[in-house]
Amino acid sequence: MQLTLLVSKPSDTADHLRAVLASDGMDVRQLTPEQALTTEWGPPGGVPDLLLVNAGLDLVTVRSLLHRLGRAADRPPTVVTFVDDRYADLEPYVRAGLDYIVPPYVPKQVRDRLVASQLRQLICPDSGDLQSTTALLRYEQELAIGREIQLGFLPDGLPTPAGWNFTARFLPAREVSGDFYDAFEMLDGRRIALVVADVCDKGVGAALFMALIRSLLRHTAVYLETSTRDRAGHPPDADAERRRDEEMLMRAVTSTNDYLIKNHMRQAYFATLFFAILDPETGSLVFVNCGHNPPLIRRHNGDVMLLHPTGPALGLIPQASFRPASTTLEPGDLFFGYTDGVTEARNTAGVLLGEAKMTAIVCTDATSARETLNCVERCINEHAGVAEQADDITMMAVHRDLAVMPVR
Amino acid sequence: MSFTTTLTRSGNTVIITLVGELDATTAVAFRQEVDRAAEGDVETLVLDMKDLTYLSSAGLRGLVFAKQKMSDGVKIVLVKASDEVERTIRMVGFHHSVVFSDHVPG
Repeated sequence: MQLTLLVSKPSDTADHLRAVLASDGMDVRQLTPEQALTTEWGPPGGVPDLLLVNAGLDLVTVRSLLHRLGRAADRPPTVVTFVDDRYADLEPYVRAGLDYIVPPYVPKQVRDRLVASQLRQLICPDSGDLQSTTALLRYEQELAIGREIQLGFLPDGLPTPAGWNFTARFLPAREVSGDFYDAFEMLDGRRIALVVADVCDKGVGAALFMALIRSLLRHTAVYLETSTRDRAGHPPDADAERRRDEEMLMRAVTSTNDYLIKNHMRQAYFATLFFAILDPETGSLVFVNCGHNPPLIRRHNGDVMLLHPTGPALGLIPQASFRPASTTLEPGDLFFGYTDGVTEARNTAGVLLGEAKMTAIVCTDATSARETLNCVERCINEHAGVAEQADDITMMAVHRDLAVMPVR
Repeated sequence: MSFTTTLTRSGNTVIITLVGELDATTAVAFRQEVDRAAEGDVETLVLDMKDLTYLSSAGLRGLVFAKQKMSDGVKIVLVKASDEVERTIRMVGFHHSVVFSDHVPG
């Protein structure tokens, strides 16, 4: 080993590591990322063979540095990352297939590990060469962008009307997909919209469609909402209110479908969607299910009701007809909506979790909204074991408190 | 999780046989096969699904893509889809765009 370049923001760990390497007789140069990026690297002898980077550096910086070093030498340096004390920093590096070392940094051991990395990358150059590393970094960046789009379009908080509990959970898979949920107030809090949806397919494309569809739905629902109060301000009867809620739903869903068909049909994306409008005062739930896994309602008496599709997925069929349906969430009832990441969670043998098992958990084990989601999440984890999560998992639960008997 | 396809053509009927699991990772292979199918004159696209063990929503996008790729008059026939696969297709509402059948037509 001729020259090792250690790149890190000032840190005790980096100083210690340099001392350890020096005590093993290695030629080490320590620089900050800014210094390393502004140094004019050039042969002969001045270009490091080994690049040791602090995992706290972002991958973009490392990539730029690799690019500069690779241009200056015949062969790009071996890259090894070391961790300061935040192990979480390692994740993107490990995913990019780069070698890493972790504390304690002990003389001889560190050196052996670095030599082994260099040998390994000499034997299988694909694992460490600039091209594939750069490609992997780009892939990681794309994943991060998709994930950012997706997370940015989830609501910051859920509504908290008196007598109700709303909980949602989003467990992202490694690869970004197009799951989302939403909950927002309409008509000044007299209604609450609930959405659970899944854009087919994965990758940044699915995330972009998710962002588009979420925005279209929210915009149409909120900005075209209509009040049914008459001119004298008298509240309308329950039937008129329900019809109005149905109209708001249908308008949001059909206009979103029309938009997707008109502008994006060729891309063959579609989204399954459950969209409901809840009246927190009465528990009335008007909904449309566009090809989505049926949410279920666990009645207080233990009965289960499935909210089956009432129309096709959005973006699939021109002039599709959607039908509104309705039910009521009575005191003690629980609504549970989810995406197929739950039922299609696999174990290492490839076996799916399945609807029956999920339903059993939702219906027997739990009481509150939060506890229900905890139980399902635990069940998924126990089923999956060490199998990698292939798809996003999204769940939403809404529980109506049992009515408190008035004290006389 | 593997997935393979084979394509045969007889007259204006193209038969694609799907074996294994059609999901996000294998959908590309299916789409390439659909591209090949669309190269000639096609009246009927038959998808033989008797050995298709799993269809995810991302895999279903492959079928939607096939529908877009073929011109309007092309009939898409799904042969021997399993109950699970048929259920996935019906749930999403794509069953209006295809025909289910127990045997290869023609």
